[in-house]
Amino acid sequence: MLALIYFIILAVIAVGAAVCVLLSRHPLYGALSLIVSMVSLAGIYGLVGSPFLGVVQIMVYAGAIMMLVTFVIMVLNGARDSRTPMFDKVSLFIIPAVLVLAALVGVALVRAPLAFDAATVRGSVAVTSETLFNVAQGGPGYFILFEVLGLLLLSAMVAAVLLAKKRLGSVDSENVEEKH
Amino acid sequence: MELQPIFIQVLALVIFAIGIIVAISRRNLFFVLMGIELALNAVNLSFIGFSKTFPADASLVGQIVPLFTIAIAAAEACVGFAMVILIFRNRESVDADSYSNMRG
Repeated sequence: MLALIYFIILAVIAVGAAVCVLLSRHPLYGALSLIVSMVSLAGIYGLVGSPFLGVVQIMVYAGAIMMLVTFVIMVLNGARDSRTPMFDKVSLFIIPAVLVLAALVGVALVRAPLAFDAATVRGSVAVTSETLFNVAQGGPGYFILFEVLGLLLLSAMVAAVLLAKKRLGSVDSENVEEKH
Repeated sequence: MELQPIFIQVLALVIFAIGIIVAISRRNLFFVLMGIELALNAVNLSFIGFSKTFPADASLVGQIVPLFTIAIAAAEACVGFAMVILIFRNRESVDADSYSNMRG
C-alpha cells in the first residue's frame, strides 16, 4: 500500500514535469523540468527494487547528460532566437496520431497478464556488478558489450570534438587566439 | 491495493507518448533532442518494470540492459548537441525547418 502511494506521487511528478517540457517556451525551463522528471523516475527505479540503476540514472542522466544540455543551451544563448514558433499546423495531426497509438498499445498492455514475481533479484551494486563483469567461460558475457560501449563513447567524443570545433585557420579561430 | 506491474508500464507509455510528441511537434531543436531523451527514459522504465515480472536470473537481464541504454543515450546527446552547435553557428536559428539543408 505504501509502495503504491510513493509510486503515485513520483508518477504524478514525472508526468507533470514531462508535460512542462512539452509546454515550456524557454529551452532552459524545459531542461530543468526534464531533470525533475528524470530524478522522480530514478525514485521509481529504487522503489521497484533496482537501486543501482536509480543511482546511475541520477549520476549519468540527470547529472552528466543534462549538464551537457544546459551547458549547450547557455553557450548558444538558446533564447536569442525568439521568432521560432512553439508549434506549427502539422502538430495538430501529430498529437492525435500519437495519442491514438498510445491508446492502442495501452489496451494491448492492459489485456496482458502481468504479475510481480516473488523471486526477482534486487539489483544491488554487488549483484549487478558481478553479473556485468562476469568473465567466466560460460558467463553471460556482458563485459564484451561493456568494452564495445567504451569504444562507442570514445568515437562519439571524437566526433563531437571534430564537429563542434571552429575550423583551424578560419577568421573566427584566429580572432579567438588574438584575444588570449 | 498493491503496486501492479501494469501501472509501471502505463506510466512508461504515457511518458513515451509525451516524449514522442515533444520530439516531433516542437519546432525548437533543443526540445527535439530533449524529447528523444524523455522517450529513452520511458524505455528504461519499461525494461525495469518488465524485469520484475521474471524470476531470479532472468530478472537481472532487464536491470543490466538499461545501463547500456543510458550509455548510448549519452553518446547520442553528445553527437546531437555537437551538430546543433555546428549548425546554429551558421544559421543563427533553432528552428528545425532551417536545418533542412545540411551541405555545411
